[in-house]
Amino acid sequence: MRQMIEATELTKNYGSVTAVNRVSFSVAEGELFGLLGPNGSGKTTMIRMLTGQIPPTTGSARVMGLDPAKDPIGVRGLVGIIPEQETPPSFLTAEEYLHFVASIRNLDSVDERCDRWFDLLEFGDKRDVLCKDLSRGTRQKLMFAQAFLHEPELALIDEPLINLDPVMQRTVKDFLKGYVQGGGTVFLSTHILEIAEEICDRIGIIHNGRLLHSGPVGDLVGSGRHLESFFLDLVRGDAGA
Amino acid sequence: MHSTIFGSLGFALFPAVIGVFALLGSLTLPLFADVFPYDVVALFAHALFLLMGVMVGSFGLMGREFMNRRFGQASLIAYASRSLPVSERRIFAAFLAKDTVYYILLYVLPFAAGFAVATPFIGLDPGLGLLAFVSLALAFLLGLSAVCFLSTLYARSVALLAGTAAVLAIAALAAFRLGTITVSAVLPPYAFFLDPAVEPLALSLLLILVPAAASVLFVTVDYPDRTKRFKNSLDPLAERVGTLGGAHFIAKDALDLLRSEGGAGKVIFSFLLPLGLVWACLQILIRFIPGIDPLVVFAVLLGVISATIYNWLTEFDSFTSYTFLPVEVSEVIDAKLKSYAIANLLPLGVLVLAAATSGGVGTFLPALAAFASVSAYTLAVTVYLTGLHPNVMLYHAWVFLRYLLAISPALLLLIFVSIVNPGYAFVSLLLVVPAALLLARGRTRWQAWEMPGY
Repeated sequence: MRQMIEATELTKNYGSVTAVNRVSFSVAEGELFGLLGPNGSGKTTMIRMLTGQIPPTTGSARVMGLDPAKDPIGVRGLVGIIPEQETPPSFLTAEEYLHFVASIRNLDSVDERCDRWFDLLEFGDKRDVLCKDLSRGTRQKLMFAQAFLHEPELALIDEPLINLDPVMQRTVKDFLKGYVQGGGTVFLSTHILEIAEEICDRIGIIHNGRLLHSGPVGDLVGSGRHLESFFLDLVRGDAGA
Repeated sequence: MHSTIFGSLGFALFPAVIGVFALLGSLTLPLFADVFPYDVVALFAHALFLLMGVMVGSFGLMGREFMNRRFGQASLIAYASRSLPVSERRIFAAFLAKDTVYYILLYVLPFAAGFAVATPFIGLDPGLGLLAFVSLALAFLLGLSAVCFLSTLYARSVALLAGTAAVLAIAALAAFRLGTITVSAVLPPYAFFLDPAVEPLALSLLLILVPAAASVLFVTVDYPDRTKRFKNSLDPLAERVGTLGGAHFIAKDALDLLRSEGGAGKVIFSFLLPLGLVWACLQILIRFIPGIDPLVVFAVLLGVISATIYNWLTEFDSFTSYTFLPVEVSEVIDAKLKSYAIANLLPLGVLVLAAATSGGVGTFLPALAAFASVSAYTLAVTVYLTGLHPNVMLYHAWVFLRYLLAISPALLLLIFVSIVNPGYAFVSLLLVVPAALLLARGRTRWQAWEMPGY
């Protein structure tokens, strides 16, 4: 099976702080992989390295066959990314922002693509509102739309359901499941365990920059364990070690 | 924030750079005493700090942007009056006081200290250092309080501001025509420096405290009560500049400028007002230095001030907004340069207006060359040293030192040769070569930069 992401001994140091410490894993095509970890465990740094936003200190990665450290633009051209904290530009409207992204990605049929996302995420009535005036939830919808506007084969999502209401969370979860069933691949990071338990095929648990566990969610369920207790035992055990 | 990005030393040394520059500049005063008498240099220094006060005051314009910017983007504090029992007036007054202390410690004190250290070596009374500190601080505060007052008027009523500006302009014009206006009357802190008497000090304080108090008393913050809606203007704008490449980036820059708070007020306060002040100072200066061509010198200074347009263009988007898209830093910089070129039509219009109204048509071409070259060179230095972050990076001591060292000699030389003969201003075209080199290097230099702490 085609490997969409391959990380080998990835490490990132910020000065004396090691944010990610020799992490290796892979994500196959058609998988929905969840990287779980407490706040500050290295999840966001991992996504930023995989998408070429920052270079690793040591180690390497291949994303859809490309090295993000050497060809970050190539990687970002292929994948869709939803960063955790970034918001769309203040003084463009929601529609203008999607057109802006479409122009960067050289897309055609832009209006149709935009309409699809306005309809799916139910924010067409906000299309002419400046991004700075959008609610946090609507901004997250917009970031979602920009990431999938070019129908990528691989999406990397940092905290996918943040700021979304329960109805929209359901919509997004259903979309992601359908997207993967349709052949797409998702790498998401989250600290909300229920999301991972419900929609992920495989998970990785990261703490203090180290990958403590990687495996199918089904294995946990099959052994009668809940993800929450497994996660807490692992993280607390690591913290006490 | 600056300490986080630069490290404590990088920011802490910023005043030291100002002090060293003031010291070195002061030590060279005797060399140029025949051309620039000490009182003219003092006038320049006071006008400079008045201008700085105007520009600092202009940073915060009106309404929400006033509060946002004055509070260093800390909108949680800026909007504290909505969630905490603190009035907008009190918050505004506190931050006016904060700005006063901050900028006086950052700029005025080290400048005066540098001058004070130099005084024994250039035959001046060391006590002049303390006097310079007081009078320069007064000049800075005069500019700051005047703009705060005008921006408060603007926030209340554009018509009120326009009326006040018209009355002041007519009065100033009439006074100039009648020859009744004096430098001391326009700039009391300078008069206080020349003659440290009670009268100019009292007049300075009056002109500072009354507008400042009025701006605090009548401050208003415009909390928007409705959401603004706009039809898609990005694509039509991009089509208009489609031949330039990077059209959507240029269109976005235009929309950022047009839709951000302040609107026309931003242009008036942070660009046209300082330019008007520079022009007025030059009109005074030609009384002291016969033969100087005000249009050419104005064009040189216009070129430097125009480079601040790049700060406007980079203010509203950080490159982090693009890091998840297939966009290179150099691509964004290229688009900013094109936006800058288009926006420079505004200062070009100012230059044309200045030439037409001052009878300086004869020296328009060398002035145009000086403006275009200095604008391009200053921009190139800014891009090379600060990338897409001029509003942050210029506060790094080493960056600022390199900025000053790159720009000051070229400017001084250009002004000097243009005083000898305005036609020599064509020499400025030589600056285009280093400008092109710096821009080429700047494009690649910032490709892999990571902003610490962000």
